[in-house]
Amino acid sequence: MVELQNVSVTYAGGVDALNNVSLKINDGDFAFVVGSSGAGKSTMIKLLLKEIDATSGVVTVNGYNLSKLKKRKIPEFRRTLGFVFQDFRLIPSMTVYENIAFVLRVLDAPLKYIRKRVPYVISLVGLHAKTNSYPDELSGGEKQRVAIARALVNDPQLIIADEPTGNIDPELSYEIVELLKGINDQGTTILMVTHEHDLVRHFGGRIINITGGEIVYDEVLTGTNAELLPEVELAQAMENAEVQQSDEYSMPAGDGSDYGNPYVDDVIAAITNTSNDNGGVE
Amino acid sequence: MKISGIKYLANQGVENIWKNKMMAFATFCVLLISLLLVGCSALFYINMNSMILGLGDQNEIAVYVDTDTPQERVDEIGEQLRNLDNVSNVKYISKEEAYNRMQNQISQGKEIFNYIDDYQFMPDGFSVTVADNDQIRATVDAIKRIENIQKADSSPQVAEFLRELRRVVTLIAGAVIIALAAVSMIMISNTTKASVYARREEIQIMKYVGATNAFIRTPFFVEGLVTGFFSGAGAFFITWAVYRSVYNILMEQGMLINAFGAGSIIPFADIRVICGLVYLLVGALAGAFGSTVSTRRHLDV
Repeated sequence: MVELQNVSVTYAGGVDALNNVSLKINDGDFAFVVGSSGAGKSTMIKLLLKEIDATSGVVTVNGYNLSKLKKRKIPEFRRTLGFVFQDFRLIPSMTVYENIAFVLRVLDAPLKYIRKRVPYVISLVGLHAKTNSYPDELSGGEKQRVAIARALVNDPQLIIADEPTGNIDPELSYEIVELLKGINDQGTTILMVTHEHDLVRHFGGRIINITGGEIVYDEVLTGTNAELLPEVELAQAMENAEVQQSDEYSMPAGDGSDYGNPYVDDVIAAITNTSNDNGGVE
Repeated sequence: MKISGIKYLANQGVENIWKNKMMAFATFCVLLISLLLVGCSALFYINMNSMILGLGDQNEIAVYVDTDTPQERVDEIGEQLRNLDNVSNVKYISKEEAYNRMQNQISQGKEIFNYIDDYQFMPDGFSVTVADNDQIRATVDAIKRIENIQKADSSPQVAEFLRELRRVVTLIAGAVIIALAAVSMIMISNTTKASVYARREEIQIMKYVGATNAFIRTPFFVEGLVTGFFSGAGAFFITWAVYRSVYNILMEQGMLINAFGAGSIIPFADIRVICGLVYLLVGALAGAFGSTVSTRRHLDV
């Protein structure tokens, strides 16, 4: 479970990266976090990884209160997470097998278990033939699947995926999200940061839009599993909603479960109206 | 941590040397050069010191007895010398021994000895070693007062010069060794930093998957330890080869041995074990700690 309570982050230069953000993601959820560059998405990821501390507010991840977490406890906390990054972050000097096994080595898992578990997760992501390849010998999609296997191998409660489709071909992006969805179906919470609106439309789920360090949109949408809105239209709809929000409404400081905000309705209406022609979004 | 975990980290350290062979080679070279610089300076100092001490030993009083003194009287003089204050040792040098010494000291024109086959023209003598060099002048005066003494030679200024020389050499050598050690530390630190910097992302990834600092550092420690050990071994063999060559060249120069006390140069066999151990230990420790300390700034993720 991820919970942010009135969290603000102000960087040393006085830049407010997150402003009084409240959010709750329950166990087993799949949530997309969307937003433009500089909106505060990366700051949120850094917070959740305990890379930075909140200036104020409380961040709780997998039962760890990160605001009070001692430095020596950080490794223990991170072992409850899986992460997938846009730039894969695989260790170049290690093979696919070694990159994945490394996580279990960190956990001091028995060798017998490692030898059984690693080939299993490699087969889950369909890279059995590449077990002994080095990252440099893999395509972008394959690298990302290795990263997902690595995130999965220690059976984490939560996987944080930061733009996992950002460096791969669009057609492979669907494959990657399908893979994450499959993992989510097994009960793992997934938090995926993306700027690819068509993916969000296609798969649906909980969508959290961060703009200017604030959550301006937090809603559960049903995926269409089909090509729906042209990219420009969805972006326009979201943008309109953000403008309206800043002009007319102020977000209540809550736990993020307050979906009754009128501006959200405007966004849904905009999406629904535009997409009706293409098959409809509920 | 389980034994298998420790074995894994140690293996990782050794494998990393091969995987990052260029940086490992750079670290090896820097450590090797640093060890050679400091090691050779230290050996140079040790030998200079030994040579100066050797020259100091030669600062004895040479006592010559009148040529026609009977042997009984010569023996008495020997006894009188032993009874003097500040005399620690008295060595009798017979006419024959003095003649042989003269032959050895002359390297050119030895043919002259073909015409001198009698050593009776040489005086009997004594080599008197004093306990306190500072009082050598008073001792010489006392010896000169003994009957049948032809000559008593000493060079107190040589003793003082040697003492001063030893002090200066110690100071200069100490400063040079400290400076070289400092330069070496900077060189080692920079090289290991560059080596670790090239793998900073690797360290970050390890941190993200929940590796502890000790888990991340151990392979770097092992890597530095092994690289440093081989640098130490390399430095030892180079020192051995160079030292032996220089030693043999100097030993062939008989005049040099006598004039500068080169005879006091320590044979490598006498210092081989200690030299090897120091090289290996210092190399391994410098490599291990340089490498481990350099990871510190990248661990704060």
